[in-house]
Amino acid sequence: MRKITNNTDYPGFLLSCEESLLLDSGKSINKFQIAYQTYGELNSNKDNAILICHALTGDQFPAEESPITKKNGWWDLMVGPNKPIDTNKYFVICSNVLGGCVGTTGPNDINPETSKIYGLDFPTITIRDMVKVQKILIDELGIAKLRSVIGGSMGAMQVLQWAATFPEIVKSTVCIAGSLKHSAQNIAFDEAGRQSIMLDPKWNQGRYIEFDQKPENGLSVARMIAHITYLSETAFQNKFGRNLQEKKDLSFGFGIDFQVESYLRYQGRSFVDRFDANSYLYMTRAMDYFDVSEEIKNNQKRILENEIRFLVLSFTSDWLFPTKESREIVSLLNSIGSNVSFAEVVSDRGHDSFLLDEPQFFRVCEGFLRGIK
Amino acid sequence: MRNDYKIILDLIPENSKVLDIGCSDGDLIALLADKNISAQGVELNQEKVISCLGRGLDVIHGDINLIVEDFPYNQFDYCILTQTIQAVQKPDVLLNTLKKVSKNIIVGFNNSGRLSKVIQFLLSGSFDSLLKKSDSDQWYNTDYIHPCSIKDFKKLSLDLNFKIISTYDVINSTQFTDGKIPSNLFCKEVLFHLKNEQ
Repeated sequence: MRKITNNTDYPGFLLSCEESLLLDSGKSINKFQIAYQTYGELNSNKDNAILICHALTGDQFPAEESPITKKNGWWDLMVGPNKPIDTNKYFVICSNVLGGCVGTTGPNDINPETSKIYGLDFPTITIRDMVKVQKILIDELGIAKLRSVIGGSMGAMQVLQWAATFPEIVKSTVCIAGSLKHSAQNIAFDEAGRQSIMLDPKWNQGRYIEFDQKPENGLSVARMIAHITYLSETAFQNKFGRNLQEKKDLSFGFGIDFQVESYLRYQGRSFVDRFDANSYLYMTRAMDYFDVSEEIKNNQKRILENEIRFLVLSFTSDWLFPTKESREIVSLLNSIGSNVSFAEVVSDRGHDSFLLDEPQFFRVCEGFLRGIK
Repeated sequence: MRNDYKIILDLIPENSKVLDIGCSDGDLIALLADKNISAQGVELNQEKVISCLGRGLDVIHGDINLIVEDFPYNQFDYCILTQTIQAVQKPDVLLNTLKKVSKNIIVGFNNSGRLSKVIQFLLSGSFDSLLKKSDSDQWYNTDYIHPCSIKDFKKLSLDLNFKIISTYDVINSTQFTDGKIPSNLFCKEVLFHLKNEQ
């Protein structure tokens, strides 16, 4: 049974499903909900829908003011009226991913089997699992074909997964700062982040809510590590250099001397308020497990039959998902004979460039979407 | 419209699959699309790639020598190189590789062996005149690293076992067939239609 209601916790909607969903791990969940938000209007042909897939720490609120942070949505520069993903033209759907912590079923929800919080009893999920859940939402909205599926970073993984698993539903994809599979270096960074969370005594084997506490220090350090990988050496240098934080001399201690330290600590601290530690574990694991190459090759026929147009974009200074990895996507898609466009956008702001004001990047996305009929 | 584009549009049948190598701002791709020909571009210049994509055209940013390796056998009906071949590092290697991905290859270029160029060279004693693509080009910064004449290119085509289907004097849109080629001394711009006969 499936039912759409208004979301009472956040703006937007909630799709509640009572059915068994078999996950890649072999385990199933029998009851789950998907929190999502929409922007713009679905036209009568239902052919102007665009699905936006959010990144690791994103949510279903790319546009307008975010109810979580009270600041502009994470992709407010890209999504909105007269913006590259123009909500005057397109019906934009964005859902919180499976395993997330902004309304979609995740490790901190109640396990219907035990009536207790899942914690680590929540099954390990994959990017494909996330996409299968999104597909249920798209079906429920009565949309037979998505004009485009768009996302950066972990969102880009979902984009490729959509093309590989449900090519019949997808007209085009925009895969930004992504890869076919998570690299060893990226798995290493994820593991450092997870260890930081799990070694925090307040984590309590994932049962921290029962103890009414949060592994704040662990999650905050995990965020600090990750945040470094989202920027670039140049971005750090330009923003902070070796400038001292509200002082003239070094302290010869381990407090905050440098501005960059203050910035990182702030990033870590503020993240704890809006994100859940167990979700972080599950979602980074999903990224680690991601490798879509074989599935794309195996579904070559279906991808070609549906004439999916692919746009792949990377940024020059992104070292987390470097251009080399985007080129591997292009190379694979070319080798199966599909229709690919690719550009490397010049930016010195690292992986996070896709969330920032990059006019060339916006121009490309707007132009590509305009070309999808 | 550029004369060479006109010839190419007449030459390529509808519903063909085309790869435009060195597609620049994508003008030809856009024209081909109007004729219901699906064309994909390859372009090395980042600004030009952005401009193509901004127009909603399909283009891959990168070096054709690397990209071409990825395409499946006979993926395209036509590969087009207009004003590109003289800027390619190894024209012979590229043409050989293109054989695998396309049945037909169209190559258009300015004839560097024409009399006016030769006289310019003799009078000035400078290679700038032969290697120039734009006015700001000098012999050391030009993209034209392999200036060639119509005769040169005909020889290369035959050496690589291509069949020359036809050639064109682009300025006055005259077609030459049966192995004939435009005058090496007087034709300014030439277009070759090659076919892989293997």
